[in-house]
Amino acid sequence: MKYFPLVWTALSRKPAHAILTLSSVTIAFMLVGLMIGLNTSFERITELVRADRIFVDPRFGGALPLAMARQIAGHDGVARIAAIGVVGGYYQDQKNNVFVIFGDTGRQRTRPEWPVTPQQWKLVRDNRAGVLMSRLQAERRHKKAGDTFVVRAPAFDKADGTRFWAFKILAVTGDAPAWTDGYIEGNFDYYDKSRPPAEQGNASYFELLAANSSRAPAVAHAIERSYANSPTPVLSFTEKEGFAGGTAGGLDVATITREISLAGLVMILFLTANSIAQSVRERFTEFATLKTIGFTDRLVTWLVFLEAAAPSVAGAALGVALAAGLAAQVPRICPPGWGLPAPAMAPAVYIAAAAGAVRLVGTLK
Amino acid sequence: MNLLRQIWIVSIINFKSLPHRIWQSLVIVVGMGCVVGVLLSMLSMTEGMHRAYLNTGDPGRALVVSEGSESENNSAIPRDQARIIMDAPGIAKAADGSPLADPGINAGIPVLRLNGAKAYDTLRGFGPKGVKLRPEFHMVAGRMFSPGTRELIVGAAAHTQYQGMNIGDKVILPDGEWPIVGSFATGDLLDGQLIGDTETVMLAVRRKAYNSVLVRLQSYDSLTTFKKALTTNPALSVSVERQSDWYKKISEGFSTFFSIIAYGVGVIMAMGALFGCLNTMYAAVSTRGREIATLRALGYGAFPVAVSVILEAMLLSVTGALIGAAIAWSLYDGVQDGFGNNVFKLTVSPALIGMAVLWAVVVALLGGLLPSIRAARRPVVDALRAT
Repeated sequence: MKYFPLVWTALSRKPAHAILTLSSVTIAFMLVGLMIGLNTSFERITELVRADRIFVDPRFGGALPLAMARQIAGHDGVARIAAIGVVGGYYQDQKNNVFVIFGDTGRQRTRPEWPVTPQQWKLVRDNRAGVLMSRLQAERRHKKAGDTFVVRAPAFDKADGTRFWAFKILAVTGDAPAWTDGYIEGNFDYYDKSRPPAEQGNASYFELLAANSSRAPAVAHAIERSYANSPTPVLSFTEKEGFAGGTAGGLDVATITREISLAGLVMILFLTANSIAQSVRERFTEFATLKTIGFTDRLVTWLVFLEAAAPSVAGAALGVALAAGLAAQVPRICPPGWGLPAPAMAPAVYIAAAAGAVRLVGTLK
Repeated sequence: MNLLRQIWIVSIINFKSLPHRIWQSLVIVVGMGCVVGVLLSMLSMTEGMHRAYLNTGDPGRALVVSEGSESENNSAIPRDQARIIMDAPGIAKAADGSPLADPGINAGIPVLRLNGAKAYDTLRGFGPKGVKLRPEFHMVAGRMFSPGTRELIVGAAAHTQYQGMNIGDKVILPDGEWPIVGSFATGDLLDGQLIGDTETVMLAVRRKAYNSVLVRLQSYDSLTTFKKALTTNPALSVSVERQSDWYKKISEGFSTFFSIIAYGVGVIMAMGALFGCLNTMYAAVSTRGREIATLRALGYGAFPVAVSVILEAMLLSVTGALIGAAIAWSLYDGVQDGFGNNVFKLTVSPALIGMAVLWAVVVALLGGLLPSIRAARRPVVDALRAT
């Protein structure tokens, strides 16, 4: 500790130099923090999506007759089932994609983990033209409970001949962690009765909960097989399987984030090592003086090391802090419909950043 | 002595002393190399996909979808409407006088990616005019499907992303397995897709309506005639767009998203490189303090000295950018890739490389400016005395 003033003076003698080094380390760690955070987010969602939830989709597009729900519910290993209708369109501007999911009365039981209270579920059951809107969606569209919300859906005809779907927002509800783009939840009966008569009595898909999550893939497979030769073949898979195949359009998030972090770290390592080497070169005489007055070689090495470590460690801390601040803004700046998860500033990020800082400091020594 | 000559001489002296400051200088090269390498690697995807979309759209063709649809999948054109559309004015005619128009169908077909993950690929229907409308279409191997039969042909690049996409493989459709009898190439998005006979596919997937109608316009300007005829017809509620504009619009949607991420990461890294550049150039100016002072004492102006500092930063920064671009180019340019149900080639285009060099120039300007001012401003006498 008593050498602290010595290190401090060395640093403050060239403030521009120290600040620039600090800034570049900060920037690099901000990038690394964001990348690890993003990767962690994807991993976390992979864990959050349910292994016991099964989706039954029409295999070749179109819809599934509601009568199938009863058959599927009777399948061995199926605990709960909900019929779902989907309307996709846009709000005001074509770029503002909107999906409204209409669940029937079973939906509350197939989405037990959603932060929606029984009262709110009841609201959407009792108000046919009403929707629950998650906070993220509501903020993005500047809506609050009581507002009206009109979706233009070019591919979803209504019985009245229009393609405008108008809703009243009943409540703004909490976001579900794995649903990174938020949700808008409507009333299935309203959906069904609004479609042209020829289209009524159909679900866009079914969603089930398996009684036993370890058997869920087998149940999904059995359902798919039992409809293979029917007029309505289905594609059936667990939420976990669907997520593994569908996230980020098949991009390998782990590899991409790792490589970007690596490039950032290489850059910074080179920069910092150089900045130290330079400061040593410039001060040979000074070190000689220190040695003359009795400093050992070891002590001098330590002093130089501390001088290098100080901005690195401070930069790492600052960078991760900045990353955390920026991460919170990601869902808001991310374009609607993409659902890029906010980089999770989990302990893993801090540990990785600390490890990175230690590694960096270690290399400098 | 004229100014340019002074700049030239000071810069030459400067560059000659670079080997003595090799490690310091490498900071800028490595820094900019990393920035550009990462930026271009990420943008190669946006660019590749963008190009695939742009190639798919031909300005000589127009696409008709149901009003307000933003994708072919979300559009439905009933048969009776398709007939009205094909009779509209402005459509080019085939030799036999029939309109060069093809009502088409798009269906999502469940497939497996090479890694076993579930995905959807697009199955398109071609009618009698499907090929005539698309001069870019040619068979690569095998034969064309026979109309009316349950046969498919596959794009030449589909097998790089999905399983079971070779001639002889079978694709499961609702009423059985359809063999792949040939492979085609178009040089665009269709290269990743499957094609069958429209009417037969519609029967199989039980669709009553087409998704869209593609027509060849009589001339580039016939779009107005064609569009007016359709949009003023009360029997239709459709949107008409030049096919190139249609794909441009779609590709802009995802381009924006990926570009935000790529440029976001790029800007963060460039800031890191900028700080590195500043640091290095300040150091360079201070180590060369006496040398610069000597030049000034000999009568060289402050301006040439400042310019030479910026030029040095630029040389290093642009070298780094070119190295980074070369790495990104050799790793990714032309590599077959897939995103969602799109199959395309990653592209590191000359325009992207040009942009990277521009970034390098900007970083060098910003990073060299302050140090160059310091170099130019330092009193000659002080600098000569300094150790």
